[in-house]
Amino acid sequence: MSYSELFKDHLANPRNAGELADADAVSEQTNPVCGDRLRLSLRVREGRIESARFLAYGCPPTLACGSALAELVEGMTPVEAARVSRQEIVKAVGGLPARRGHASALAVETLAAALEGLRGRTTLTPDSPRA
Amino acid sequence: MSLRRVYFDHSATTPVDRRVVEAMLPYLTEKFGNPSSVHFYGQEARAAVDRARREVASLVGARPNEMVFLSGGTEANNLAIRGVAEQHAAHGRHVITSSIEHSSTRGVCEALEKRGWEVTRLPVYEEGVVRVEDVRAALRDDTVLVTVMLANNEVGTVQPVAEMGALVRERRAAGQRHLHLHTDAVQAASGMRVNVEELGCDLLSLSAHKLYAPKGVGALYVRRGTRLAPQNVGGHQERERRGGTEAVPLVVAFGEAARLTRLELEERAGHIRRLRDRFESGVAERVPEVVFNGDRGRRLPGISNISFRYVEGEGLLINLDMQGVAVSTGSACSSGSLEPSPVIRALGRDDELARGSIRFSLGKDTTDEEIAYVLEALPRAVESLRRLSPLYNSQFKVSSPRFQVQS
Repeated sequence: MSYSELFKDHLANPRNAGELADADAVSEQTNPVCGDRLRLSLRVREGRIESARFLAYGCPPTLACGSALAELVEGMTPVEAARVSRQEIVKAVGGLPARRGHASALAVETLAAALEGLRGRTTLTPDSPRA
Repeated sequence: MSLRRVYFDHSATTPVDRRVVEAMLPYLTEKFGNPSSVHFYGQEARAAVDRARREVASLVGARPNEMVFLSGGTEANNLAIRGVAEQHAAHGRHVITSSIEHSSTRGVCEALEKRGWEVTRLPVYEEGVVRVEDVRAALRDDTVLVTVMLANNEVGTVQPVAEMGALVRERRAAGQRHLHLHTDAVQAASGMRVNVEELGCDLLSLSAHKLYAPKGVGALYVRRGTRLAPQNVGGHQERERRGGTEAVPLVVAFGEAARLTRLELEERAGHIRRLRDRFESGVAERVPEVVFNGDRGRRLPGISNISFRYVEGEGLLINLDMQGVAVSTGSACSSGSLEPSPVIRALGRDDELARGSIRFSLGKDTTDEEIAYVLEALPRAVESLRRLSPLYNSQFKVSSPRFQVQS
């Protein structure tokens, strides 16, 4: 098994690692099979995700996908963020080895739960479509 | 500037010793004969195989004709366990083993179970050591084989095989003639003196590439008089116990590696133990929240297995690899399975500690400078992963988001 340079860069230099003290939503999801965890905090200002931070425990794909996710959604509106797919996350980490796809699923689920947390708040269009 | 590289994975395999390469080279070129041939070329190769056999036998205190050359540790374990089980099936179909065996032994035992054998797997407790009284309690009239490794490959714990040998001999003297003792000494041979008489075993597995020889060759010691069903038939080689033309260059390399190991063992073990102890006290000083796995007083000198709380082993492995340090992990992901290391779990560790376990294995050429370098790289790697870990952060930091979703 080998990882791409982009993947290793996410591991060596995680983007947006940490937590937001004044987050509007925090979601933490666990992969029930392997126990991997991903936590995502979002802060929304003027209708856009101004800041996204992640924490992750688990195999390297989970760490890299968390890093890619937090980087990817920053600057998006929640509606745009809801359209982020597993494929986009896989691409953003430079690909995942076979049988490691679950890491991108955990990232998408964690994002969806965080957006769910934002839903209904003034910063989110109430009836915005979910991808 | 090129990356500094430090190899701390000698339990996986060792670099080939220069002297071993020199010894084998002629058998890759001009001395190419088949040992079964009667002419000059064949006899030259035969003599070389015989010399190697004497050296490998001498490493474990056996007679040359008790050594069977084969492809390595996995094949040795297959031949020993399957060979005894099949040969003595009429007298019983019960095998005793431990819960921390190498995957080859585990695999053969599982295969036997599928074919109707019963297998008892003994616990190893927190120390990672089988208790002889458990072996005694597990022995039955239909037990034909006890197979317990001499030293574990993940945590390095040394098992009381000599005591098991005494027990097996006692039972045999009392009439249970078909009871055998096999031990997998693949990992042990590089770090401790191994002697088949002291151990009282009937079969013992060895692998050359853990002893600074190339991959692809190993040996099974088969005590004189021990009958076992050959697994490779169709050739007369190795006294009918393993058909197939001998891998002469590899066998010669194994012989030289065995000779060097026998001569240098004390010196190597002393050097490695000193460095390992220095490494472990360095880790204990510099990295909080670590757990050392395996009885520290009963281990091979070169293995240090440490669990790092709040982080996962493969992430740590890759982080260390990016700093040039090569290690192994008991994390499930890297081995392609869902369950983390059964060995670390058998010590009673939880999943998190099993997933966060790293094996550092030192070798005869490891230096003080390398230890110092790893002691710099390791705390950095652990710290950077812990900074990312929600397990770690929730211990020390309270966050109060306005909205929280927990799964």
